[in-house]
Amino acid sequence: MSARERAAYLFLSLLQARVGSSVISRLGDLAPDTVFTMSSRELAARIKLTDRSRQAFEDLKTTFNAEDTERRLAEKGIRAVTLTDEEYPERLREIPDSPPALFVNGELPAGTAVAIVGSRKCTVSGIEAARELGRALGERGVCVVSGLALGIDAAAHEGVLIGDGPTVGVLGCGIDVIYPKRNRDLYGRVSRSGAVISEYYLGEAPLAWRFPARNRIIAGLCETLVVVEAAERSGALITARHALDSGSDVWAVPGPIGTAECRGSNKLLAEGAGMIWDIPEFVESVAPMQEELPQRKDRESEAALPAGLPPHEAAVLSGVGFEPTEVDVISSRSGVGMRDLLPALTMLELKGYVGRNVSGAFVRRISV
Amino acid sequence: MAVCRARSLTLAGIDALPVEVEVDVSAGLPGFSIVGLPDTAVQEARERVKVAISNSGYKFPTKKVIVNLAPAHLRKEGSAFDLPIALAVLAASGAVPVESLGEAGLVGELSLDGGLRGIRGALSMAEGARREGMPRLVLPESNANEAAAIGDVGVYGVRTLREAVDFLGGRTSVEPASVGENGRVEEEFQDSDFADVAGQGFAKRALEVAAAGGHNVLMSGPPGSGKTMLARRMPGILPPLTTQESIEVTKVHSAAGEGRGTLIRTRPFRAPHHTISTSGLAGGGSNPRPGEVSLAHHGVLFLDEFPEFSRTTLEVLRQPLEDGHVTISRVAATLSYPARVTLVCSMNPCPCGYAGDRRRACRCSAGQIERYQSRISGPLLDRLDLFVDVPRLTREELRETGAAEPSQAIRERVAAAREIQTERQGMPNSTLAGRRLREVCAIGGDAEALLSRAIDRMGLSGRGHDRVLRVARTVADISGEKDIQVEHLAEALNYRRSSLLER
Repeated sequence: MSARERAAYLFLSLLQARVGSSVISRLGDLAPDTVFTMSSRELAARIKLTDRSRQAFEDLKTTFNAEDTERRLAEKGIRAVTLTDEEYPERLREIPDSPPALFVNGELPAGTAVAIVGSRKCTVSGIEAARELGRALGERGVCVVSGLALGIDAAAHEGVLIGDGPTVGVLGCGIDVIYPKRNRDLYGRVSRSGAVISEYYLGEAPLAWRFPARNRIIAGLCETLVVVEAAERSGALITARHALDSGSDVWAVPGPIGTAECRGSNKLLAEGAGMIWDIPEFVESVAPMQEELPQRKDRESEAALPAGLPPHEAAVLSGVGFEPTEVDVISSRSGVGMRDLLPALTMLELKGYVGRNVSGAFVRRISV
Repeated sequence: MAVCRARSLTLAGIDALPVEVEVDVSAGLPGFSIVGLPDTAVQEARERVKVAISNSGYKFPTKKVIVNLAPAHLRKEGSAFDLPIALAVLAASGAVPVESLGEAGLVGELSLDGGLRGIRGALSMAEGARREGMPRLVLPESNANEAAAIGDVGVYGVRTLREAVDFLGGRTSVEPASVGENGRVEEEFQDSDFADVAGQGFAKRALEVAAAGGHNVLMSGPPGSGKTMLARRMPGILPPLTTQESIEVTKVHSAAGEGRGTLIRTRPFRAPHHTISTSGLAGGGSNPRPGEVSLAHHGVLFLDEFPEFSRTTLEVLRQPLEDGHVTISRVAATLSYPARVTLVCSMNPCPCGYAGDRRRACRCSAGQIERYQSRISGPLLDRLDLFVDVPRLTREELRETGAAEPSQAIRERVAAAREIQTERQGMPNSTLAGRRLREVCAIGGDAEALLSRAIDRMGLSGRGHDRVLRVARTVADISGEKDIQVEHLAEALNYRRSSLLER
């Protein structure tokens, strides 16, 4: 039964990706595997399908092969987690329109999860807020869920990776499709320290309607949602709506008045969203400090220095922080004199361990 | 009565040209006129000379007195002809033996009581006197020390017209002046030593490299980060002036009327305000005077708030930075002042000053910052080799474990590096370009690989490439290495412009 049910959910998942609307919620009490026995006419009668969708259903029914579908996933190291599986996130089952199956690249982290969302087009301070939030949550071991898009999303993922915490990226396209291309590197790092997930099967294109649909998953995975920066008509606000519908806490980062990028998030605040006026205070309220924190610190500093660096470069690297660190501060932290420090910094920069920011200070980069 | 001649000198640029003062006293209506392209100050010499002669106890001839300043085509300016005119008049009227004027060079300004006042350009005059074969130079006492630095010419300082007459007539003797001993270089700089600057090791190292290779520097940082304090200490780490350089510096300062009365032995530091005019910076005016860039000759020209200087003002710096001198063309004459300077500029990273600062937010928009940064003209930026970000550090960050290095220790390294350069190519590394650059700064193997990686990853331009090589050469010279090694190149790469400034 379970295998057949699983196959049915996979089938429904592929069907939904083509139909573009929720099939499963309209099936109501029907057992999912009835779709295999239903004719397109019966189905259409229940859930109102367009002609094109009916055609899609027919096509899929003739070509669908559960084993084949799963095998192709496995070749890419991706798993399918369906509604019938125990691994399926509990919170996600509760939302009105749960995806029948999630394709997972990586491991879904357990424990508290916070979503950080915002516009792709955002201000520098927005990027910084998202990164800092991500880092603070990551250091507390809180999973940060976001959408692997440019702007706020990417910054939030970067932040939690810096903080060495778990993170989940939810795609609006096929699980193996990297969009935007620029995030290729980030995609790999997120899947390694958490998971990249999608409700869309291999190769599905990043169609415009899939992104708002994806937002319900982001909201559904977390009990807390943070909007960093959102313009008045931003997808992030859709996510916030979903979160409110499923009874999650919604927080927002206040932005300067009159800034277009912040109008949506500020409006959320006016409507009663929680205000993040201090990052540590926020982190404390979503994930109160626990005893195990000191251990985490140890692990972090241990992991911090990559192997294979010449000793003097490693010494210099230990003095470079994740916040911009001036050359003189690096010198006093690492105890390396200026004449040896400067060549070492250039070498570290060329090797990609540190970056130089606009004001000549150095920032630690997460090694690739 | 015969014509009486006295020899004198006048300043053209920072050099002195000989001038013959001829005085004819003849029968006729009493009068006193000066010919030979005199300017107003020279014309006014008539009144000063007349009164000073009577107040010194001599009689001004009640005859027709004509003074000719030869050569007639050369424009004469200033008050230094007072003394030769007065002495020639006295000789022509018989009050002083004619032969006593002899071949001596005479310069000095008279006051109404017959006293002598100091003049501009005494050192240049002494140099001119030597060149023109004048055996001795008589000038106001306050200028004597300075003029004596030239040697080979007997320099005699006198205080009054009467003293000059007595000395020339052989009735009294005056000790030839000698170069005044002024403080040793160390003492001169004791108020501004690098040891007093807490922290800022990076900026100090950058200034050391700049000093060692004669490179021009741009420091960028928020207000209060210590840019000016650092720049002021730059002359103290440059090698001491050679005698020849001392003379040049003194000549310029003396010609500008800023002489200290003695030979200047310390490297000048000039920090003109950004409201300075073009001629204030480059020199000029109807009575041409050296500008700030010449007054900083062999020293440091510090341009604080670099982007605030007007573009046209800064454009005049291009010639001196290229050729080491400024040419001023006027209707009357074309003058040239030396101007070989190390340029140290400082700027805030943005109009409000706090871009990139950790503790204070910048209020500028990206557009404002870009406009601010692009105010500096490209050609001038190309003359800058080192770019240093000077951050504002907290007190804890400034606290250093060991004591900071004193300027003298840095100066010794700088001097050694300069010596290597002089021996190798006869000029500082900052002037290397083209084929010469490729010869002197040849790199091989690992260094070559490093540089090409840097070009890819750091987006180095062609100019940036040359700049890095020049600076790497200097870093290697400081370490006393014959070839540029990987670490020298790697250090030099730190002195590139931050992306905020990249064009």
